[in-house]
Amino acid sequence: MTSTADARADERALVIAAQRGNTDAFARLVRAHQRRAYAVCRAIVLTHEDAEDAVQEGFLHAFKALDRFLPDQPFGAWLYRIMANASLDLVRRRKVRDADELPEAVPMPFRDPGESDELRRRLNEALLQLTDRQRSVIVLHDVEGFTHGEIGEMLGIPEGTARSDLHHARAALRRILKDVRSDL
Amino acid sequence: MTDIRLFSNNDDDEVVRGLRSLYAAPAGNAYWNELEARIMARVADVELGWWTELDRWVRPALAAAAVLLVAAGIAMYRARQSEADIAADQMLSAPPVPAATAIRPALQDDREARIRYLFGGR
Repeated sequence: MTSTADARADERALVIAAQRGNTDAFARLVRAHQRRAYAVCRAIVLTHEDAEDAVQEGFLHAFKALDRFLPDQPFGAWLYRIMANASLDLVRRRKVRDADELPEAVPMPFRDPGESDELRRRLNEALLQLTDRQRSVIVLHDVEGFTHGEIGEMLGIPEGTARSDLHHARAALRRILKDVRSDL
Repeated sequence: MTDIRLFSNNDDDEVVRGLRSLYAAPAGNAYWNELEARIMARVADVELGWWTELDRWVRPALAAAAVLLVAAGIAMYRARQSEADIAADQMLSAPPVPAATAIRPALQDDREARIRYLFGGR
């Protein structure tokens, strides 16, 4: 409890220092939140590269909007909302661009050489059959552990919608993966 | 082997495990240090912009302008108030007697002096 309170107080102090123009304080906030920020962005965009772009855009937006942030609020929740918006903007821009250009190859996510390619391929194909929002919700919930409420806030949807998206995404994944198995 | 893991009886667990490996963030501090450096480089670009400096001064400047405006308003109000007070004081301190009665004693004095002069009185 105390360590959580201390961590929150430290973060508040960093936010206030960053609001006064201390870039070192902002760098420490970046260091503390960039992994989680990446995870949020990665859940919404399709590729590792897009997630990197969205993280950078998100932190830039956060820096510019820092004077409007109230330090007594949880910084993480505010930041991840910005990250989600940056990612959604990027997805929209990509869709507009892709509509104007010739179709490209299906983008693959960041690859960890230690993982099975087959598992990745099947799961990735299944995920691409979900809607963008369903995919984001299932990754944010099942992989990153965000609550329905937090997901709803990030994606700008009601908590109940996030809950039902998760239900439908799981059901769809189960169905798709079973169909793949029956084809084998 | 992969299929056995992915399509076991406990499908949800397997799917979650698969998702976690698919969406795993890059490991290794070098990657994150580099990303942080890239982010901070972009932040520095923003910070060096003249508009940021301008933006930083906009609020204090607006506050100062508002204070000056209020001070000027108060000063003008007080100046008008004192003018009105002076005018009211002047009106109130004017002779209370009518103009005709104020002139008549002077005329009477003059007339009496002439009579005294004509009849040799003092």
